[in-house]
Amino acid sequence: MTRRRGVVATTLAVLAAGLVVAGCGGGGNKGAADLNFYIFPEPSGSFEKAAKACSQQSNGRYTITVNTLPSDADGQRQQLVRRLSAHDSSIDIIGMDVTWTAEFATAGWIKPWTGARAAQVTQGTLPVPIKTASYKGRLWGAPANSNTQLLWYRKDLVKTPPKTWAQMLAMAAALNKQGKPHLIEVQGRQYEGLTVWFNSLNASAGGSIIGPRGNVTLGPPAVQAATIMKTLASGPAADPGLSQAQEDQGRLAFEKGGAAFEVNYPFVWPSAQANAPKIFKNMGFAPWPSVDPGKPARVTIGGINFGVGGYTKHPAEAFAAASCLRNTANQKLYALKGGLPPTLNALYDDPSLAKPYPFKDLIRQQLNSASVRPQSAAYADISLAISKGLTPPDAINPKTIVSSLSDQIKKAQDSGALL
Amino acid sequence: MPSTGREKATWGVINVVVILAALIPVLWIISLSFKDPSTIADGNFFPSKWSTENYSGIFQTSEFTDALRNSIGIALITTVIAVTVACMAAYAIARLNFPGKVLILTAALAVAMFPPISIVGPLFNIWREVGLYDTWPGLIIPYLSFSLPLAIYTLSAFFREIPWELEQAAQVDGATPFQAFRKVIVPLAAPGVFTTAILVFIFAWNDFLFAISLTSTNAARTVPAALSAFPGESQFTQPIGSVAAAAVIVTVPIIIMVLIFQRRIVAGLTAGAVKG
Amino acid sequence: MSTTTAGRVTTTQPKRKKISDRAKAERRLGWLLCAPAVIVMLLVAGYPILNAFVLSLQRADLRFPDANKFIGFDNYGTVLSSSLWWQDVFHTLIITGISVAIELVLGMLLALVMHRAIFGRGAVRTSILIPYGIVTVVAAFSWRYAWSLDSGWIPGLLGINTDPLTQTGWSYVAVIITEVWKTTPFMALLLLAGLALVPDELHEAAKVDGASAWQRFWRITVPLIKPAILVALLFRTLDAFRIFDSVFILTAGQNNTETVSILGYNQLLNRLNLGLGSTVSVLIFVMVVIIAFIFVKGFGTSLAQQRGET
Repeated sequence: MTRRRGVVATTLAVLAAGLVVAGCGGGGNKGAADLNFYIFPEPSGSFEKAAKACSQQSNGRYTITVNTLPSDADGQRQQLVRRLSAHDSSIDIIGMDVTWTAEFATAGWIKPWTGARAAQVTQGTLPVPIKTASYKGRLWGAPANSNTQLLWYRKDLVKTPPKTWAQMLAMAAALNKQGKPHLIEVQGRQYEGLTVWFNSLNASAGGSIIGPRGNVTLGPPAVQAATIMKTLASGPAADPGLSQAQEDQGRLAFEKGGAAFEVNYPFVWPSAQANAPKIFKNMGFAPWPSVDPGKPARVTIGGINFGVGGYTKHPAEAFAAASCLRNTANQKLYALKGGLPPTLNALYDDPSLAKPYPFKDLIRQQLNSASVRPQSAAYADISLAISKGLTPPDAINPKTIVSSLSDQIKKAQDSGALL
Repeated sequence: MPSTGREKATWGVINVVVILAALIPVLWIISLSFKDPSTIADGNFFPSKWSTENYSGIFQTSEFTDALRNSIGIALITTVIAVTVACMAAYAIARLNFPGKVLILTAALAVAMFPPISIVGPLFNIWREVGLYDTWPGLIIPYLSFSLPLAIYTLSAFFREIPWELEQAAQVDGATPFQAFRKVIVPLAAPGVFTTAILVFIFAWNDFLFAISLTSTNAARTVPAALSAFPGESQFTQPIGSVAAAAVIVTVPIIIMVLIFQRRIVAGLTAGAVKG
Repeated sequence: MSTTTAGRVTTTQPKRKKISDRAKAERRLGWLLCAPAVIVMLLVAGYPILNAFVLSLQRADLRFPDANKFIGFDNYGTVLSSSLWWQDVFHTLIITGISVAIELVLGMLLALVMHRAIFGRGAVRTSILIPYGIVTVVAAFSWRYAWSLDSGWIPGLLGINTDPLTQTGWSYVAVIITEVWKTTPFMALLLLAGLALVPDELHEAAKVDGASAWQRFWRITVPLIKPAILVALLFRTLDAFRIFDSVFILTAGQNNTETVSILGYNQLLNRLNLGLGSTVSVLIFVMVVIIAFIFVKGFGTSLAQQRGET
């Protein structure tokens, strides 16, 4: 019996090995390089469309296959860093979140863009997106799309949108007294979104988190930022689910009608149009509120840069394909189909974007004054330290926040602390 | 002792409470899986609008089907290898006399108590260097080492109960050693082997920590790991329905198996634990 | 995991004293048959734990491949002086302590029900095997959706208006219920097997002497099944201490529910900080050994009894 089982086991093991091999090998058709493009799942399928177009335009030089990553940025990064640290050569082109540049570059997981390649993907590109793709004087990604939060509000509840956070909080309190929808939807869960909120507030108050030489530079602006977060979270404007709220919860709450304000990315606009026409009728947009009156906010920039995997077998083809995937035609496609703001300046003047993107000028304006999150190889840790230090938002102590956050960030920087 | 009606009623109530407590989470996830996507968040225990859309949904992409294939394949291979290897060891432990037996049992016990998190990091580090990261063998190997103690203990407990003298008796009666083994011992040992196989399969089917740590794509990701990656897989739909449907699909076969072989599983679970 | 005390190794050895050649052959066969199992267990459990120890003495962060170096016990200093580590140890101990205590009581009740029920034993036993057989992640999802304010039935039942899984207290309740639901059956089955050993005559005799059911339980049943209780407690305690799946799904460690296993996972696989992560791993291993040691030392005699070595 034992022997027979052994035979079965061997057969199964061989079968398994076969399956594994079949699963890994992409099958290389001669001539065209098979390129794997890893990107977040974009429901409209615009990346697939662009990949097909670029493959065709390459005249048989390469074929791009789109592989989708998990939908949340943390999950995307987890999958990529584990595989890249395993020197996975099947990762050719990566849709990198703007915050990954320094980490991926330091670890050797992506290849730098140099010379003519770099010139090609920076020409006509907005400056702040280029900044997010640069680290230590080199370019590590081709800015493909950008993103920034706006303020969305209910025109039937407030006549003129608030210019500052203080105004918005006062309006929410007043609406609450009148028994009207009054919530302000922000991202309060302990995750990247909370760091983004803090970074935007801190930068808008004139502060920064990390200086050019890697020193922690939190100061009075951070106190201002923390005070606003705490006031919102412990006041009537806070959603009961604030401590779990991510972008999508904010969108849903706004669409349900319980909120008067929402700080969120532009994807909420087409979503409300489709899912909540009644709310959409009265949905307005405005610049992200500022912290100090008269000083425009400096909102955190988001978006994707295309990087070339450090272990790819086809670097030249991958660079060419990545350039193609972010050219004018494809960026327009992403913007129109997927709602992703472009990084090319000229596209903001394209009249065809005006209809789906009535707020396109506002976005360009905010992008040009946007703030970049700390560019550090330990960014993931730094962000975790920040979001942990600000959780739960209603328990923030503005008096001690600078010293406690600075302390945690310093430890995170040299990867010498538990997080 | 004759039981009164009141006693009967009391026991009836107790039994119903126990059975309900055991079943409610299962009923709930089944109910969720049949809720129409539009009513998935209505909070009712039972669906107000029935639909099989969640089921058809998860079979439309390879996300779940690949994971199911990986789960079945990895669990089956683990089971076959673990039971084979454990059979040999358990036979030796139950029947042969050799020094080091206690050491082996103690080592197995130690491995059984091992916290998996303690070796997941080194395994990840080694696997990424030798190319086993995100492959079937990359999961099968750790599953083997964690299911072997379970298998060895269960099997040796069963083997000890086998009247091995029958084998000799059969040989005296003229059977060849192989015939004696096949006709006498195999039927006696089969239930124990089978029970062990079920327990090992459940173990491999259930694992989550190794699965999320040592895989990252559809090439080797098993269902529990895939389930945890479902949420928010598409930006605008709540994944509750898909998770529930996938959960039911991986749960039902196990429940059926458990129900059919419940006596053996109980025997296997408590084998060796308490002599009796 | 159901492996329990080392079984008696007394076996049928009919030809033991015959020729020494035969004994030698038997010995060799025994080793040969055990070799594959031992090798697999050593390679996949033994080597990695050594590897974890080596890594824990280094600054080893895959994100900074050029900065790896030997740093002695610095990582241990970092972890042991970190408030996060002690908080997580505390969370883990709370979850372990409360769940195992509840499981013991419920498991005992269940075992008594299955032992004494005048009908429906089979149905009860069958139904409690379901929690055992279900995938932990699936169970955790079921409970998570049940507790969620958006989709669940529990908040309505309890009249809660905020999402329970965003609050520390309720998160613990949810985690502990999930754990108890999933593992009480195992506890109950072990105890039931112990109950089967208690001779009915003892109860009958005590009954004749006028002992109440309560007295009989404490004076007869408990002392007799003490070994079974201890074995069940040991296994469940070690198992609960490494809790990962249900917390990961229910709260992902939010609201102060992070356990040591989740802490280790985050360091190792999200930060790729193998040095610090391995330090956490080694410390968890040490704690498990300490817990096992306390059980074995504290209740050593009972365990020996259990193994029939009285």
